[in-house]
Amino acid sequence: MREIIMTAVERGQEALSEYESKRVVETAGVIVSGNRLATSRDEAVQMAATSGYPVALKGCSPALTHKTEMGMVKLKLKTPEEVAEAYDEITSKGVELDGVIVQEWVEGDNREFVIGMTRDPQFGPCVMFGLGGIFTEALKDVSFRVAPLTEVDAMEMIDEIRTQKLLGEFRGSPAVDKKKLVDAIIGIGNLSSEYEQIAEIDINPLIIEKSNPVAVDALVILKK
Amino acid sequence: MNLHSLFCPSSIAIVGASDTLFKWGAYIMSNILDGGFTGKVYPVSVSKSIVFGREAYKSVRDIEDKVDLVFITTPAQTVMAVLEDCRDSGVKNVVMVTSGFSETGEDGARMEKEVERFAIENGMHIVGPNTMGIVNTHCCLYATGSIVRPVRGGISIVAQSGNLGNQIMEWAEQEKIGIAKFVGSGNEGVLKVEDYLEYFMDDEDTSVVLMYIEGIDDGKRFMDVASRVTAKKPVIALKAGRTQSGSQAAQSHTGAMSGSHVIFESVMKQTGIVIARTPSELLTLSAAFDSFPVPDDNRVGIITLGGGWGVVTADECEERDLSIPPLPDDVMEKLDKRLPPFWSKANPVDLVGQPDIVLFEESIEYMAASDSFDAIITLGMVGSKQFALRAAEAAMNLGNLSKGEYQKFKDNLDQYQMDFLDKIILITEKYGKPILPVSLAKTDYDEMVHQLKGSKYKLVIYGSPEEAVLCLQKMYHYSRYLAKRRN
Repeated sequence: MREIIMTAVERGQEALSEYESKRVVETAGVIVSGNRLATSRDEAVQMAATSGYPVALKGCSPALTHKTEMGMVKLKLKTPEEVAEAYDEITSKGVELDGVIVQEWVEGDNREFVIGMTRDPQFGPCVMFGLGGIFTEALKDVSFRVAPLTEVDAMEMIDEIRTQKLLGEFRGSPAVDKKKLVDAIIGIGNLSSEYEQIAEIDINPLIIEKSNPVAVDALVILKK
Repeated sequence: MNLHSLFCPSSIAIVGASDTLFKWGAYIMSNILDGGFTGKVYPVSVSKSIVFGREAYKSVRDIEDKVDLVFITTPAQTVMAVLEDCRDSGVKNVVMVTSGFSETGEDGARMEKEVERFAIENGMHIVGPNTMGIVNTHCCLYATGSIVRPVRGGISIVAQSGNLGNQIMEWAEQEKIGIAKFVGSGNEGVLKVEDYLEYFMDDEDTSVVLMYIEGIDDGKRFMDVASRVTAKKPVIALKAGRTQSGSQAAQSHTGAMSGSHVIFESVMKQTGIVIARTPSELLTLSAAFDSFPVPDDNRVGIITLGGGWGVVTADECEERDLSIPPLPDDVMEKLDKRLPPFWSKANPVDLVGQPDIVLFEESIEYMAASDSFDAIITLGMVGSKQFALRAAEAAMNLGNLSKGEYQKFKDNLDQYQMDFLDKIILITEKYGKPILPVSLAKTDYDEMVHQLKGSKYKLVIYGSPEEAVLCLQKMYHYSRYLAKRRN
């Protein structure tokens, strides 16, 4: 984790790539979806076979912030041929990439949450938890606490959001494992206290697979 | 931080003392003298020899006695010389009323830094500059620029706006809500809001801390102090600037949704500070925490003189995290024996318009004694006398009741109400549960806070159910905060 952050800082990156971001938040205690980086078509096909179909492919570079809009995200690929074709398409956009992420497909149950971090000039790193997905900023159903966090703090953050009911058993899906959410929230707080170099974090969406909160995207922004 | 000799001085000097009305040196001096401060008071003035009948000194140095506290009201450029005099005379506490420091710009900020350095080097406690002053009702020290004289009590106030602090004390004076100490923290050149908060933590006269905050310098220290204080006594705070927009520089969604006020409110939740949304709510909540025991949990029993009132109160409770459990069998049985057959037979307990004090008292006690309830709201026995009185008044106007008879009737009713409130305090003591009375008709001469000599609890008499429910909700949240951290 230290190496990823330090190397990125030395290179003058403004942010970590998605691949790097996920590795960092995973070490901090967040469950992330299978996260491998392929640098050739064959490697991508092999990785897909290892993780099992379907998979998603995403172009990976610290400079990429609008992957979807640029056609850099290919979802639910079911065969080696589809993977190979997607790899070629992503790498032919003329954008310099670290590689292509081969991500195992996580079948969520439509519940999406967010964990984030921002630095307040008075209080330092503040962790956010709330309703995630594309309506995050529109609905603003989130809670904040200043890091480092205790288990009670993290639990109170979770209990504070208005859409509480989504965390329990919901339309046939099991209740969310709150202990794992608490670990992820505390972990992001500790990561931010330890690494001053990190300015902001977005883990969105955090989808619910069975009862586990799993990060399928992450962004770690570095200090300028 | 021990600020005891600042708030409880035996001797005070006022530099810039004056008896020319409408000067700060006159406001402070006359307020201290007229407020009944029992220690010594020395005016210091370069131009006057007598101030309010007292011989004035040319300098703090000339005062032979030991001086515990010096007020400075002279212009900013004279302040450093006065501070040197103070140091040389062994003065440890200064209240710097003088303005013209960091609030005016860079030059002022530089002078304020100089004051801070001097204070640190010489171990001096300095309030301000640019402060409204201080109050300590427990030694009759009223030393603010505007004269307010709230009664002695348990609420201590630290306000980053002197005007707002004054307004709150004025309301407290009118409603007879007891205040212990007040400080307008001014520019906080030396002593910060955290220092006062920390001092109030161990101050025996303070049972509740009331804060008005605009901004703080040291977030980590604030959190550390606040969480230690709330573990010992409740802190109620209003943070101004709710509508300021979030940080514009944020690159993440998280950053865009934060903003200083959102974070500050989170800090208050994290440290157990009770959040007030308006100045009047600040005082109302502080009075509640100063008067009632906090409930162990959120189960509320309601006793009402009329049905509709019970229903709206129950709604209000449910919307504010409080629950209205059904009546347990044993309470149901006890009540059923005493109440007319058409009573509600449920929580809220509806006494169906029976303003019978004994019935009320008994019903309250049955509910308070039950393990099913953590708090009681009683609607309507208080204030119902007003309607009996109106009827008597009408009879008097029509010549059916003499003035003397009317007066006797009124005195009796007033006494009944007082006795009823005394009884509620005794029940509160017996079961350690808050019992919040809501008045049916509050008049100007009715008290807002009812006290019973020798009891550690008081009663706040509410003018509306929603006000009572809000206070109960905040007390429950505080209690829950403490309980979660004890385990």
